[in-house]
This record gives sequence, C-alpha cells and structure tokens, in this order.
Amino acid sequence: MKRDVVIGIEIHCELKTNSKMFSASRNSINDTPNIHVNEIDLGHPGVLPTLNKRAVELTLRACMLTQCEIDSLIKFDRKNYYYSDLPKGFQITQQFHPIGKNGVIEIEVDQQKKQVRLDRIHMEEDTAKQYHLEDETYIDYNRAGVPLIEIVSKPDMSSAKEAKEYVSTLRNMLIFADVTDGKMEEGSLRCDINISLKEAGSVQFGTKVEIKNLNSLNNIEKAIEAEILRQNQLLDAGEKVLMQTRRYDETLKTTVAMRSKESAVDYRYFPEPNLRPIQLEQAWIDSIQASLPKTPQQWLEHLIELGATVIEANILINNKSLLDFFIEASKEVKDVRLALNWTITEVTSLVNIMQEKLFEMVSSHHFALFLNCISDKVISGKQAKDVLKWMSESGKDAQTLVNEHGLVMVSDDLALLNWIDEAIKENPQSILDFKQGKDRAVGF
Amino acid sequence: MNVNEAINRLKAIQPTTNACVTIIEDDVKTHEGVLSDVPIALKDNVITKGILTTGGSKLLSNYIPPYNATIVDKLKQAGGVIVAKTSLDELGMGGTGTASFNGPVRNPFDLTRQAGGSSSGSAVVVAAGAVDIAIGSDTGDSVRKPASYVGVVGTKPTYGRISRYGIIPYASSLDHVGYFTRDVRLAALMCDVLSGQDKMDHTSLPYPSTTIAPSLQDNVKGKVYGVFKEVLEAIDHPQTLKHFDAVCRALESKGAIIKTISMNETLLRTCLPTYYIIANCEATANHSNLTGVNFGLTQEGADVETIMTNTRTHGFGPLIRKRFVIGSYGLKDENQDKLFRKAQKVRRLIVEEFNRMLNECDGLIAPATTSIAPLLEGANMNVLSNAHLIAENYMVLSNFSGAPSITVPIMPVDGLPHGINLTCKIEDESTMFQLALAIETCVKEGL
Amino acid sequence: MTLPSSTLINMNKDMILSLADELNFSLSESEVVNIVNEFHSLQELLALLETIDTEGVSEMVYPFESPLLTLRDDEVTHELPQSEALSNAYKAKEGYVSVPKVVK
Repeated sequence: MKRDVVIGIEIHCELKTNSKMFSASRNSINDTPNIHVNEIDLGHPGVLPTLNKRAVELTLRACMLTQCEIDSLIKFDRKNYYYSDLPKGFQITQQFHPIGKNGVIEIEVDQQKKQVRLDRIHMEEDTAKQYHLEDETYIDYNRAGVPLIEIVSKPDMSSAKEAKEYVSTLRNMLIFADVTDGKMEEGSLRCDINISLKEAGSVQFGTKVEIKNLNSLNNIEKAIEAEILRQNQLLDAGEKVLMQTRRYDETLKTTVAMRSKESAVDYRYFPEPNLRPIQLEQAWIDSIQASLPKTPQQWLEHLIELGATVIEANILINNKSLLDFFIEASKEVKDVRLALNWTITEVTSLVNIMQEKLFEMVSSHHFALFLNCISDKVISGKQAKDVLKWMSESGKDAQTLVNEHGLVMVSDDLALLNWIDEAIKENPQSILDFKQGKDRAVGF
Repeated sequence: MNVNEAINRLKAIQPTTNACVTIIEDDVKTHEGVLSDVPIALKDNVITKGILTTGGSKLLSNYIPPYNATIVDKLKQAGGVIVAKTSLDELGMGGTGTASFNGPVRNPFDLTRQAGGSSSGSAVVVAAGAVDIAIGSDTGDSVRKPASYVGVVGTKPTYGRISRYGIIPYASSLDHVGYFTRDVRLAALMCDVLSGQDKMDHTSLPYPSTTIAPSLQDNVKGKVYGVFKEVLEAIDHPQTLKHFDAVCRALESKGAIIKTISMNETLLRTCLPTYYIIANCEATANHSNLTGVNFGLTQEGADVETIMTNTRTHGFGPLIRKRFVIGSYGLKDENQDKLFRKAQKVRRLIVEEFNRMLNECDGLIAPATTSIAPLLEGANMNVLSNAHLIAENYMVLSNFSGAPSITVPIMPVDGLPHGINLTCKIEDESTMFQLALAIETCVKEGL
Repeated sequence: MTLPSSTLINMNKDMILSLADELNFSLSESEVVNIVNEFHSLQELLALLETIDTEGVSEMVYPFESPLLTLRDDEVTHELPQSEALSNAYKAKEGYVSVPKVVK
C-alpha cells in the first residue's frame, strides 16, 4: 500500500549570549564542571529569575528570519516535573504565549522549492548536563539555565531529504544571524523528529513516533529513512505502530525504542509569577530588524559581487567561521581575487586539519598582510604556502616569519639592490645578457 | 538596646517561647548607617550566606546558603547586626507558629497561647523586648496577625516595595516582605531602609528607596478613615468592638473623618478559598526544588528518584505534604479551570472591589483579629461562619491586591494584646504611616 | 450547602497516593485518611468560589499587571566558586554533583 510520510520537527537551539537566560552566570558549556553557576542555576531556595536582553534580541532575529508574527508582550510559564537535571523542579518556558508564531521558511530539494511552516518559536532554559557512568551519574550545572529557543515546525515535510534540508537551511540561517553556533555534535542544536505514516491521500494521521537525540544532519536523514522503512514493514504486516520515543542506533542502522508514550505527562503549566509581562519597545524591535545580519542568500549575492564563483561562494557559506575570516581579510587586501583563491584552497585544507583552531592561530588581519606580501611580490607563491603553514603553527605574522626563516625580502629597495649586486657578482654574464635584451636573464 | 543585651535577652526567652532557630553571636557591624549596631532578627526564611537557614523545615535543617538575600545586604549596609534567625511555620505555610520542625512558638504574654504565624518568632522577639526590629514575611497575614497577638507594629509595604530575592517563598504572587517594630516611626524608617528597586527581583517596584521617616507626622485633620463594615459585623467580641470604637472616636477628635465602607459580602466570603487555592498551587511548584540533590537534608536511596522521595518524605511535615497534595491537584491540567484559574479570576473581582473601597477613603481600618491569640492546640471555629471567613481572614485582601498594610497595637482585650489593621492605596506607604502614627498617638495619649 | 456537581471532588485514597507519587513523597495511612477528609471539608469552601460568576473575567496572575520594560543586560556579573556551588550538594566528585545512576 502506498503511504504518505508526515514529518514535523522540533529544534532546540542554544543562543550565543554571554550570560544565561535568567541569571548572570556565564553561558559556557564546555569548561570545568560547575564553575559557571550561581544559586539561581542551582535552584537554591529564594532565587528569582531575570530575563536576558540579548537572548530576547537573538530570539527576535530568529523570528524575523523565519517571518514569524512577533508577540511583543513577553510572558513566561512554568513546566513542572521532577528530574535530576532540572534543579528548580520546573522549567521556565513560554507555553501559552510564544514570542513567535506562524512562520515559514523556504527549502529546496531536487531543484524544487518548498515552504515549511513554523508553528512557533519560544524561549526557555536548558537543563544540566548529566554524564552516566558505571553506577553513578555526574551532574554539571554549567548548562543549567543556558538560553534556548525551541522552533516547532508544522508537519509539512514528507521525506527524509526534506527534513534534512529543513534543518540544514534553518541551522545555516541561525548561524549566520549569530543566533547560535549550531553545533549539532556538541548539542547546541538538537532535533526531535515526529514522524507518522498515513494512507496516501487520507486526512487521518497515523500514530506518531518521536525520534530524539539526533546529532548530525546525516543521521537525521538516515534515522528517518530507517523509521519510514520500519513503520511501513509494521503496517504491511498488519501490526500497529506504537506511540513511542525512539533513538537512532548508528550500528544497528535503525531506530530503537527509548520509552513508550502511552499516557501524556501532566506538566501542570501555569504562568510564571516571578516574571511580570515585559513589553518590548517597538523602536527596539525595529532596530533589530534593521540591523539583521546578512542571510546565507544575501551573502551568496554579496560574494558573487566580490568576484566569487557560485561554487566558491557556497564553500564559504557552508562555513561561517571561514566566511567571517575571508570577509574581514578582504577589507584589507589589495587583491580580493587572490584572497578568494587562497581561502578556497589553502585555508580550507588547513581548516580540514585544524578546524576552528586555525582561526585562533591566524587572524584575518595577519592573513590579509600575508596576502599583500604575495601581491607585492615580497614572497613567491611557493614560499607563501610554507609561510602560511608556519603562521598556522606559530601564530606569528608573515613578516616575522620571513625574517626568521631568512627569506629574501625582495620588496625592500636596499635589500633588492644588495641582492642584485650579489647575483651579478655570481653571474656576471647575466647582466650582460639582460643589457642585450635577453628576457631570459631575469629568471636566471 | 545593644547587640549583647539582645543576645542575652534572646537566650533568656528561648526556653519558654522557642522564638529562635539560631541565635547568632558572632555577627559584627560592617558599615555605618542609620542602623549602626542595631540588633536585628530575621525570620528563618531569609537567606543568610554562611548562616543556617532552615525555612522552618527539617528538609533544610542543614542548609548553609552560599548567598545573601538582598535585604540582608541592605540591613548590613545600614549598619545592622544580625542576631537571630527566628522560628516560623514550615516554609511559611501556617498561621499558628505550631508547625515548625523545631517545635511550637509560644506567646510571651501567655505561654499556653499561640503567637500567630507564620512569622511567629520574629513577632515574639520584638514583643519580648529582645530586639527592636525583626524581619518577617506576609503571604496571607503572616506579619500583621502575629503583630496583633503579641502587641507590636507589623508592617507589610506594597507588593514589590521590598525585594523578595533570597526569601524562601510560599506563594510568589502573594508573598511580601514585612517586619515588626515596637513603634510606627521605626516602621517608617525600616521602609526607607529596606525598599528600593532590586535588579534581582523582576517584580520589585521600579522606584528608589522611600524617604518617609524624616517628615513623618501624625496630623490627620481631614483624613478619611474607612471602617470596614462587614468585618465589624462579623465580630461578636464586645471588648474588641468597644476598643475599636474608642480609637475611632479619638481619631475623630483629632479632626479625622470616620466613614463606614462596605464590600460585597458574597465576594468577601470567597477570600479564604481563593487564597487557599492560589497559595497552595503556587507553593507546590515553588518547593519542587527541595529534593536533596543540590542542598538539604538528603536521605539515602538506591537511585536518584528514591533519594528525592525519601528526602521529601522525611523532610516535610504532614501539614506541608497535605497542602502540596491539594495544590498539585488544583494545578492538574484537567482541574485548573475549576480550581486554580477560577481562583485567579475571583481574585481579580475581589481586587477590583477592594481597590474601589480604598478609593473611597485614605485608609481602611478594622480590628486585626476577632479577639486574642488562640490556645496552642488551636481555635475551634465554624469554617463557614462570617467570623471565620471574614473577620479572621480579611487581611489577605491586601496580599491579593498588593496594597500596603499595617497592624498597630491598641488596648488589650481580655488582658492580652490586640491590634487594629490599616490598609492604604497601592504605593501610598506615606499616608499609611501617617494614619498609623495617629492611631498610635491616640493610644499613647490614653484616647 | 449543596454543591454544583462540576465542583464536587470525588477524592479517594488511590488518587491521593498517585498525587503524592507525582510529588515525590510517600504518605502514611493516617495521612491519606486525613487528606481525604480535608478534600471533603474543602468542598464547602470551594462551593463559595463556584457562586461567583467569572464569565469573561481573566485570571489575575500578578498583583500589578502593567507590563514592565526591564530586561537584564547580557553581562556575567554573578558566579559562585565551584566549592561554594557544591558545598550543599548530596555528593560532589571531581567537580560534579554525583548521584546514583539516573535510570530514566
């Protein structure tokens, strides 16, 4: 029997702020455990929440990028449940009045454009991180209270490819707007996929299965494909699909049940009494709209104006750090085309080896100075490859490395003259050849 | 009163009254200010860094907080010295002072009687002359009722006037910080000291500290005292009514106008159930953090769920567990419409009616309680009588609306302390202290 | 006083125990009886609420409802040293709070 696939996606995305959603401790997850916490994050008695302005700003950006209607009167609610990673015993979230509603983003799959509608975007706080050991669990509260947004799509996707493209497109938009670092493998962007099958053309939805903890775009695609297969096989065999939460097992290449969802949990949501409603000023909202960072699409257009090919532009757009590095450098270089060549080839291959570490070692300013050395013919292309490698190892600038390695500074007039004198002494014939108009002499 | 005298007095009254959880002998003045070297007691739900803070619960009987409540910093900056953490009904939930993990608090004027609650110990240490200032908290009437039972001034300024950061909550939308003093002038000064917007409390009022004390005077010529008609009608104790009337006549002789003001009785009778539902529902959620994982008197268990369950079973008294069950029931999704949200809607109607009454006068007055403090084993009242529903519980009106409210002691009833409650318009503490001072003056002058 | 059926809480021991279970504590037999009784006497009070017509009335969540404009600036101004953060914990190990393995 032919069946339609119905997919909806919930994305939890950690915001790039300095401090937490409701407290003034640092938003920094990968650090020594329990050093970025205060009594609020730990849920001590007597604490009260205060709302982070930057977190609201970044959420507004996400709403604007996805064309959500914005509710400028901010309200929060409590979601009550007991769990060891939730120190207050409730999570502060926006159940009843999400800041963003009814958005849409456009994705493209197999040259087909498709609109995916968003149900809502709302703000909430992350839970503590737990590490399960042999027979104990370690809790790190650095993540407790980290600002999160939850982005809930409508069930508008109908294939694994579409789902992957949706997450990929949305993720890129958010990364470009500096809303999140979007690192799925580190959990700063997490996806829950709701998937059900129904008879082709039927209005009756099938039983929904939720797949949790997907940590890469590829796994989203694989997990959905595996789940569609599993559900089809069950239904073909006349069996029922159970309402369940499942996870994707990479070794088994299929989804496995985590827990059944027979009875819905009663979270006893109610309005948070410790945060009064907050009216965002329209002028502030407008200023955020006016200063929205460029979207990937806008960057594409900009890069092409700068002389990049579509392929080059796409390489840059797929790595925001690389793009930022290039854009900063391009402001200082004499030859933008040269900058593009070096970024796409040499820098990219260094990034493949060193990842983000490269950008710590080589600043975009140093890269620009380095490129200008090439433009000014201070160093040859062949030397330049070595120099860039040394820069990435030492963090030093090109000039310093040229000196240290005794490379000839051909741009220095005096040095050039000395060098010519030396050369002539060793090759007196050359100068004669040169004077006689033999071009070959210049290259020795 | 100096710090040493206060500590000695606290120790002396402890065996009979059980007013304190902790007597602090080593705190010192850290700043100079209006309260330099003044000994101050704190209800033991005020978080004090490095000093045991129990909230009156066994579950927190080992809790040494890593931070200070905002008001503790304010008191220290004004020069105050913290000398005691006082007894309270567990987590502030109770009006008797008999529901603390460390035993009942007794009324210093009659040890067979309650001091009222939940700020029982703080009321007692001021009444017994151990300190001049004690901090309390007031969710229903937890400062203003004990104040009446022990004959001290009990103040609860406007909701948000004093920061709640670092106060172990009961019900967040009703919780107010309040305090006990022996006279109204000091009460006004304490409002100036404790108030002011706090960035840590989003619900704190967006104004700087008040400056009421320096210009406080008791001239009430032309001021309108509204007499709360239904409360007076619900009281059948002749001496209570007689004393109240005497105060009204004395105020009139000072040029004040006494005017009877009435409230819809059906609505007034819903104050208690409305309070009961809202307070227990909010409290249930507020105390979900008490699990023994990050703090508290943890009980062992094979897994973390068992640890939480054993900790909460062992740590809470039966009264608390009962209230949490009721609160949790009221919060169930399927019950919210008829219980929690219903109570919140009725709260709105009550507040609209109450604000109308306050707009018809400068301050609304009535006896704070029907008569004297009940015996320790409790009072036996018909729960549906007006004496119970109205006269004993009307003071919760100002917790619903956030209006400033104060209890001022007047003449004893049956030989025991008794007070008048006065409530004024939201944010108008200035008028409240002025009208309260006039009552105090009338009483001092022998009426 | 007679109760409108919509308000009547038909509370039994099992419901009390299930509520207690959700609240993460257990109750003694006598406590359960006590709470069942409390629910019964509560009916009379709740009937008073039921008499109030709240049609079209919105919930009052806060004493003061006018919206505020205040947001906290995104600055790191308040962290506890790790030792203080862990000083009250059930068990601390290697900088973490340690509990017996969480099964769920």
